[in-house]
Amino acid sequence: MPTVFEEKKKDKILVNRGPLVERTIMTPLTSFAVSPEGIRFETQEQEEKVVLFLRQHLVVLLGPLLLVILLALAPVLIFPVLFQYLTLPIDVPISYVIVGTAFWYVVTFGFALMSFLRWFFNIYVVTDKRIVDIDFIHLLYKEFSEARLDKIQDISFKSSGIFSVFFDFGDAYVQTAGGDLPNIEFLAVPSPARVVEAISDLLEKQKT
Amino acid sequence: MSADVTNIIFVLFKFLILFGFGLYIVFAAVILRQEQLMANVLEESFEPVLRFASFLHLVAAIGVFLLALLIL
Repeated sequence: MPTVFEEKKKDKILVNRGPLVERTIMTPLTSFAVSPEGIRFETQEQEEKVVLFLRQHLVVLLGPLLLVILLALAPVLIFPVLFQYLTLPIDVPISYVIVGTAFWYVVTFGFALMSFLRWFFNIYVVTDKRIVDIDFIHLLYKEFSEARLDKIQDISFKSSGIFSVFFDFGDAYVQTAGGDLPNIEFLAVPSPARVVEAISDLLEKQKT
Repeated sequence: MSADVTNIIFVLFKFLILFGFGLYIVFAAVILRQEQLMANVLEESFEPVLRFASFLHLVAAIGVFLLALLIL
């Protein structure tokens, strides 16, 4: 019997939450992107395609955000109350109060900026050839590790705690073959199960 | 406390503050440089905004230093 309809084989990654076929439009707060456009990372080859682009879950920014709010409100709400009960041996001139407050807000801005930069540039990339982990650990230290797909031995994930379950984030671990190659850890990434399944699918594709 | 002693304390304090603010300017410059380096690692459309924010932070740090120099 002649074939009336033949479904075209799509280049898709099937995972437990549905297929990862959509393309994610990148925003500054994107932490889970499938085949993102307009993004390139260092050492990316011309024909290399980004399959998954990950950052830590947005919930990790919650702590710094609360601290920034607290720091911003301190000169207005906390310090006046504090100084009511504090007696200094000398009168502090108003110029010191002005400079101190201005510096306080600059430091608060600096802290917010640093926290965001750390989150923004701490990225995990899964391409059709390898897995890349770029860590912006602190101001003067960055770490770049990668594992080619054919060197990957085992992948797993861990999601524990109320926050992790509620916001669906966790750690994904990629174990590589050979002692000199680094194991890659995707820490606090959104939907770790989807990440693991996407990598497994890529590995299966590569084998076939 | 006599007026002379108070003045000496404030002058010393001013130098300490200026030294601290100077160090903070270096820190702000390092953030800006680091942001530029990381922008080479990851090319993204939002990066100019971060560069501007880092630059603004450096300008603010210099501004506070100058303010302290002028009014303290």
